[in-house]
Amino acid sequence: MRLGMVIDLKRCIGCYGCQVACKAENGTRPGTTWARVVKREWGEYPDVKKLSIPVLCMHCGEPPCVEVCPTGASQKRERDGIVFVEGDVCVGCRACVMACPYGARYYQDDQSDYFGQGENAYEQCVYSAHQKGVVEKCDFCRHRLERGEEPACSANCMCKARIFGDLDDPESDVSRLIREEGGFQLNPELGTDPSVWYLPQER
Amino acid sequence: MCYNQCGIRGHRVDGTLVKIEGNPENPIGRGRLCARGLAGIQLLYDPHRVDRPLRRTNPEKGIGVDPGWEEIGWDEALDEITERLVRVREQDPRGLFFSGTVISLAPLMHALGTFLPAFGSPSAFVSDGHHCGNAEHILARTLHASVTTNPDVAHCDHLLLFGCQAGLGTYYALTTMAQDVADARVRGMKVVVVDPFLGTAAEKADEWVPIKPGSDGALACAMLHLLVNEYRIFDADYLRDHADGPYLLAEDGWYARDLESGKPLVWDIDAGEARPFDAPDLGALALEGHYLVESTTCRTVFQALREQVARWTPEVAAEATGVPAAVIRRMAREFGEAARIGSTTVIDGVELPLRPASALYFKGAHGHDNAWPTSLAIELLNEVVGASNVPGGLLGTNPVCLGHPETGSPRWQPGADGDGLLEAGALLYNDPFGRSPGWPPTPESAELPNLRDLVGWPITTCFTPAALNDRENFSFDHAPQVLLNYGSNLLMSVARPEVCFEAFRDAFVVCVNLYSDETAEALADIVLPDACYLERLDPLPNFTRHHHPVGMGDWGHTIRQPMVEPLYERRHFSEVLLELAHRLGITEPMNLLTNNLFGLTPPHALEGGVRYGWREIADRAYRSWFGDEHGLEWFEEHGVITWPKKVEEVFWKPFIHARAPIYNEWVKRSGEQVAEIALDRGMKGIDTSGFLPLPDWRPCRAGRPREGYDLQAIYYRVPWHTFSMTYENPWLDEISRGEPYSYFICINTATARAKEIEDGDSIEVEGADGGTLRGRARLTEGVHPDVLAVANNGGHWAKGMPFARGKGIFFNQLLPMDLEHTDLVSLSMDCDARVRVRKVEEA
Amino acid sequence: MSSMPDRLDLRRQDLAQVYRPQREWIDGRGILIVVAHFFSGIGAGAWLWSTLYDFPLGRVLAFASVMGLSGVAHLAFLGRWDRFWRILRRPHQSWISRGMWAIGVFGLAAGVVLLRVPGSVLPGLATALSLVAACGILLYEGFVYAASRAIPFWRTRLLPALYIAYGLRGGAALLLVAAALGGDGFDVAAVEAIKLWVVVSTAVLVLLYLVAGSRAGGAARESVAQLVAGRVSPSFYGGTVLVGIVVPVALALGRETLGLPELALVGSIGVASLVGDFYVKYCVVKAGVYTPMVGASGV
Repeated sequence: MRLGMVIDLKRCIGCYGCQVACKAENGTRPGTTWARVVKREWGEYPDVKKLSIPVLCMHCGEPPCVEVCPTGASQKRERDGIVFVEGDVCVGCRACVMACPYGARYYQDDQSDYFGQGENAYEQCVYSAHQKGVVEKCDFCRHRLERGEEPACSANCMCKARIFGDLDDPESDVSRLIREEGGFQLNPELGTDPSVWYLPQER
Repeated sequence: MCYNQCGIRGHRVDGTLVKIEGNPENPIGRGRLCARGLAGIQLLYDPHRVDRPLRRTNPEKGIGVDPGWEEIGWDEALDEITERLVRVREQDPRGLFFSGTVISLAPLMHALGTFLPAFGSPSAFVSDGHHCGNAEHILARTLHASVTTNPDVAHCDHLLLFGCQAGLGTYYALTTMAQDVADARVRGMKVVVVDPFLGTAAEKADEWVPIKPGSDGALACAMLHLLVNEYRIFDADYLRDHADGPYLLAEDGWYARDLESGKPLVWDIDAGEARPFDAPDLGALALEGHYLVESTTCRTVFQALREQVARWTPEVAAEATGVPAAVIRRMAREFGEAARIGSTTVIDGVELPLRPASALYFKGAHGHDNAWPTSLAIELLNEVVGASNVPGGLLGTNPVCLGHPETGSPRWQPGADGDGLLEAGALLYNDPFGRSPGWPPTPESAELPNLRDLVGWPITTCFTPAALNDRENFSFDHAPQVLLNYGSNLLMSVARPEVCFEAFRDAFVVCVNLYSDETAEALADIVLPDACYLERLDPLPNFTRHHHPVGMGDWGHTIRQPMVEPLYERRHFSEVLLELAHRLGITEPMNLLTNNLFGLTPPHALEGGVRYGWREIADRAYRSWFGDEHGLEWFEEHGVITWPKKVEEVFWKPFIHARAPIYNEWVKRSGEQVAEIALDRGMKGIDTSGFLPLPDWRPCRAGRPREGYDLQAIYYRVPWHTFSMTYENPWLDEISRGEPYSYFICINTATARAKEIEDGDSIEVEGADGGTLRGRARLTEGVHPDVLAVANNGGHWAKGMPFARGKGIFFNQLLPMDLEHTDLVSLSMDCDARVRVRKVEEA
Repeated sequence: MSSMPDRLDLRRQDLAQVYRPQREWIDGRGILIVVAHFFSGIGAGAWLWSTLYDFPLGRVLAFASVMGLSGVAHLAFLGRWDRFWRILRRPHQSWISRGMWAIGVFGLAAGVVLLRVPGSVLPGLATALSLVAACGILLYEGFVYAASRAIPFWRTRLLPALYIAYGLRGGAALLLVAAALGGDGFDVAAVEAIKLWVVVSTAVLVLLYLVAGSRAGGAARESVAQLVAGRVSPSFYGGTVLVGIVVPVALALGRETLGLPELALVGSIGVASLVGDFYVKYCVVKAGVYTPMVGASGV
């Protein structure tokens, strides 16, 4: 099984729901956005195009972050291909941050709370799951996968622009969409072979 | 977190709320939320929330002045408030003014529907974000028997949006519409967005049509002209049978009426004469033409429309809008052809007309002082092609409900009035008889500051402070003694802060709020800590039904129950109202009105002066609607009750014989009555020239040229902010900090460079009608060259919202509020400003 | 809106850029990796030169530089220094892991040498191992950067070459400083001559490296632009070029004209050279720019 995601750029309206859904599910600190949105604009008035591109860890088939990790904290799981960081093993050398072309990795040295008044009740509850001095990133909501649920970002997207499934199954929704709607990866020339595919905005 | 009341679920760990997510069982959202809904946790646990009642110690009130809050107990606070209210009630109950935020809709309706009438005060003014959709709401009522509209995207092929981002970032039922619009677009629905700014909707559009702000009405008039005069693309059957198209108009602009019955006349072609519209054996009706009736030349309503829009050639409209004539022609043709007039479809075994084209509009189009005729022009685009309350077209938000299969309740549907015209069933309030109180309200006098007696039909009345500030002209005989403000940040959300401040500076002001915001700090004598939506019980929170998605699917009625018990000393406003009612001795009338509000019938109706608890009332409401098996406890456990919609509820047009009024005789009449009242009282500035029964266009105030002020500033909405409160939410603020536009003033690249302004420069925007904005420039190609665009409604300065302070830009200080800048028909204000801009040195 | 973006804001803004600079290995505690690589680089180089010229003080300084200064800097750089031993676990895949092995072997072998542990085989073996390990240290650092697939500016064999060259150069410079501080019996003139040659050749290497980066286009070109004409240029021109290349060459060539005491001159050349060594590493690391994930015109 190879878990992957398809992000339909035609459906996506750039509402940042995924960014907050991820944050709400995983209780990440300020500045750590495992899921985020990149916005671009090009052209000349009035022929202007804008595009919102949600990005997250690509859970690469050939993950450069796993390659450079000196401790083995960064791993690719055999049974489903997700790439995750074992927090207890990470030493915080940030080599993976240099290796990842998708900006998916976040070093946890900043221990700010959101209001600058000390952690509120919610933050006290959720930040304890995050260690200081290590790198963390999206893990396709490992804990939800165990319950048979899809990641929070795709479960919540109100445009249904994120589809999650098994890339190794040719009849899965993700495989079909990639095949039939012209799916593409970001930076395929780097040889990372992302498990996150995109469908074009224009089609 | 916003107005849309989406279904949510919360997860708690050891009593702490740790996650909010959508509720898949709730048709409002179907388990998915926008960024705001997900961020609600940070509202609950924001350390800057008001946790205890506060009293002002600094006697000086003023914008930006420190009130010197001291914490007091609830009893002390309520004692003082009660004392004031008793005094006001004795002297003149009209002295109690009330304003509230529509975001917290259920308690707001509770106050408007029960407490205020029980107290005896007519002085409610509901504002929050200017005038809301006043003009659109009027037409949603007259043409769709609803509060508002949404397109049936499931069957639509061509969606035309004017200043609206339905399903693409904002608007009603967003979370459900977003799913449906995305589905439709992938299926092939084309989206055309008319907007001065390339926002979230225009980003997804197949075509972005940049337009001069406030000129959407001109574009729509030209499209109407092309459709009904040049291309001759219109749904004759619809206009003849389901609208007042064939009704005859006399030269004086009134319906030609039968002398005996007073019924509007139509021209019976077979009989060769004018006959009442409801005559038993009518022949074929004329839709166009001039006819002689009792030696008066009359024309049909449709003929009048054709002649009215004839002057709006594409060339004339191009001049007014900046949209090329060729583009206007193409837009009209594409829209008309997409409507596939004459086609049908089968849904759930029922054959229905199919009109897969829809024109929708909201704030961007009608947030101007030409709101009424603009809205009318755009609405009629749907009407002339018959795309009204049929598959693929524009649907009212659920004007027909035949009730839960087990109880037949709730139930409402529209009918026809004496003139055969569409008459709404219950609207915002639930009338057990399913009919709205008298429409249209007749202008009678000008004694109420909220103008309810003069212009009584707009839903929101944010003009009230301007009227109070103009009291000599209006000659009100009473002034605000007490202002009870439920959560509305008037000073930021209505217009320039001075407007609302001046109106209420002498009143005793009680703010019931989540934060000590700009309004509380400038005006309030007492602030009561409100329980936010996560801390309270609201039965049937979406009973007003305009948040329900339109189209086929499920009905859903839900519960808002506390995810956590109110923290600190926060209290639910509804419970505070019950307490105040008891102290004032008005529990009995309040009970009666509560029965009316929730449609409580025996045995669940509240009796006499019995003092019911809030949970009891909630339980009775549920039982009354859904039977004894579905009381409060059932809803606390299951969360939502659903049942499938029927075809005849969703696409009711073919089943209910009532004609949509294209011609607005009531507006003409009201205009004359208002003019008469104004003349009578020597009032100045009452301009009724906009009370038009048919569409036309003239530029809005900010659209008119002014020497030295070459640009027009507008605001736009982003999907992760609502009104002003969300700037205090750090998860939502974090979005803006990583996003290119929303904390900047957007200016067209070429326009900026011509003024030697570079990206990131500090600039100052000066309004021709006063007001100054300061911010940093974001150069973009995605905005009309003559327009500046700002994401609203940031720029807080209150000490009680320290996280929000300085975030974003406070657009509304450019906006005056007075008769000159107001569309009197709808009480809409001109939400844009004529400005100039220059680079300044960084402070 | 706050006028000075805080660090998190900077990160948010970075992530929105087409060309975003790396910051984790230069901002805040990130600079400590440059410091650590600097000290271990010059230390390894100094060990090699010290062994060649049999300079005891040089050997001591080299050891202190690698195991002491660099070691502490490395640990302080890590987020979880208490787990540092885990870095040894992936030498088959990670250059950082290999580097730690090299440092570890160096520490043991060089320690044996410095302690003058007696024996017939051991001293020779220790010396040999220490030399190999020192070479390993010089080698691995450049490859750590070159392994970063996301930063095109670093992904070239020229970078390890640069690190080796600067390691040798820095090692020689350290020896000059040691000599100036009172090392006797040390052939300063010979080292100086080599030094001059090394300085010139590293300058050429830097030029080659920049030209190669620029011609590669994309993010590498952007890195070069930031180095020679952007946010890194003050450090580049001030540190790497002026103090690191021009000053030592000028001092060496103009020794007669300046008429300074011999050891002081030599020491100054050494110090200036070391500053340059630090700055070249600093500049290269700071100029690292990620390959664009999403270009200016979308995807």
